[in-house]
Amino acid sequence: MIGWVGSKAIEAYAYLASLATLCAQAVVDLVRPSKQGRSETSRVIIRQILFTGVDALPVTSVIALLVGILIITQAGTQLPMLGAGGLIGSIIVLTVVRELGPLLTAFIVVGRSGTAIATELGNMSVNREVVALRLMGIPVSRFIIMPRMVGMVISIICLTLYFDVVAVLGGYLVAKVKLTVPFPAFIDGVMTALSSTDVTITAAKGLLFGTAVASICCHHGLSVQSSYTEVPQQTTRAMINSFVICFAADVLITVLLYL
Amino acid sequence: MSRQAVVLERVRMDLVGRSTIFAVDLQITDGEWLLLVGPSGSGKSLILELAAGLVTPDEGRVLLFGKSWADGSEDQRTALRLQVGTALQRPGLLSNMTLFNNVALPLRYHRSALTNRDIEETVNNHLDRLGLLSAKDRFPAEATAGELRRAAIARAMVMDPRLLLLDDPAEGLDVDMTGRLCRYLEEVRAGRPLAIMMTLRCWSPLGEGADRVVALRDGHIVMDGSPSALREAADAEIKRYLT
Repeated sequence: MIGWVGSKAIEAYAYLASLATLCAQAVVDLVRPSKQGRSETSRVIIRQILFTGVDALPVTSVIALLVGILIITQAGTQLPMLGAGGLIGSIIVLTVVRELGPLLTAFIVVGRSGTAIATELGNMSVNREVVALRLMGIPVSRFIIMPRMVGMVISIICLTLYFDVVAVLGGYLVAKVKLTVPFPAFIDGVMTALSSTDVTITAAKGLLFGTAVASICCHHGLSVQSSYTEVPQQTTRAMINSFVICFAADVLITVLLYL
Repeated sequence: MSRQAVVLERVRMDLVGRSTIFAVDLQITDGEWLLLVGPSGSGKSLILELAAGLVTPDEGRVLLFGKSWADGSEDQRTALRLQVGTALQRPGLLSNMTLFNNVALPLRYHRSALTNRDIEETVNNHLDRLGLLSAKDRFPAEATAGELRRAAIARAMVMDPRLLLLDDPAEGLDVDMTGRLCRYLEEVRAGRPLAIMMTLRCWSPLGEGADRVVALRDGHIVMDGSPSALREAADAEIKRYLT
């Protein structure tokens, strides 16, 4: 049993170390841009932002709106009964802006783009496209990993802030149409509860989640060796590990900053 | 004195899953066309992979134009890489790009000073000479095996390398296209020195252009000489790859 735990701990350490290495190399490639391949790399970044960010706007809007409606409906019906109707703003800031916004956005991105990246890179590995890039003197880290990471981080930060705005808007709609909470009180509550630190931490979570998801998905995609059957296996692992690591990172940040 | 393009110096490798040991000493001079022949598993592709820096030998060293893949900075290795064009058995064309964009990619990445018109002219020139101009807008999934092979060769040649590594380039090519590829390689070699290391799994007119033939069996060189010398002296098994 101890041996099993030990080997799992070593595996986890090795896994996190390889993710950190991949991440560090991407950061080096970003801060020390090469003269070569600048336009090609920028093209990949823009494509990634379009796919991960812009194309995800409809699904993010729907989910954010529904989450906002759900939270405000629950809070708006329960809190006034306790004489705490004025806390609705605080509730939406606490749950949506601080926690659910970054986390659910990360989950949407993992489901849409993370799996797509893992699958694409897995297929590229099997088709020997990754080897071909090496043979052309095109570094995989600079051409494949860094642009996807940058694109994903930018997209996830923007999507998170967008998610928060739409969710609050959803809450506002419910508050306006259905609940007894007056709209000025709702807005006043949100603005009072929301601090610049909340927005900064939300953006920081976006940065962290984007980096984590991109490195996990690239790592698993490039781990595919020789068979197409490995592609869905690695994609599933990438998705599950992305969820777990984003959740764990979120809990860690919340505990460290708010406890 | 002619310069060595590739040197495999006392290279030894334990081949996983095989009882034989790969052990080769081989040199190719700048501008020489070397043909590697032999049965499957004899180590032909491995020699190309060693020269391309995809595989590191257990013992010995591999030098390209006097430099080892293991030495120097990343930039120096990239500079060395750009002197080598490689088209492996599986072409590895990027599936999300057309054949044109696949061939243009090395130029776009490494020669950012080139204008789009320059790139288009260069790429179209290679595609035209390889009979691929009409297929240039196809994606790899829409192309035939022969088109993929020729596109991979065009991509390997577009940076004007000094060494070309071709793993069974005849596969998937019909007679006309094989002839076209022969003429293309001869034209390029007439204009500038280009060393070629090429494997063939069965006889092809492409082998006629070689200056020298190396026959391999079980990871060892069994014969090394001019095509005519090998045709006369080789045993029946090796002769089958030469005629």
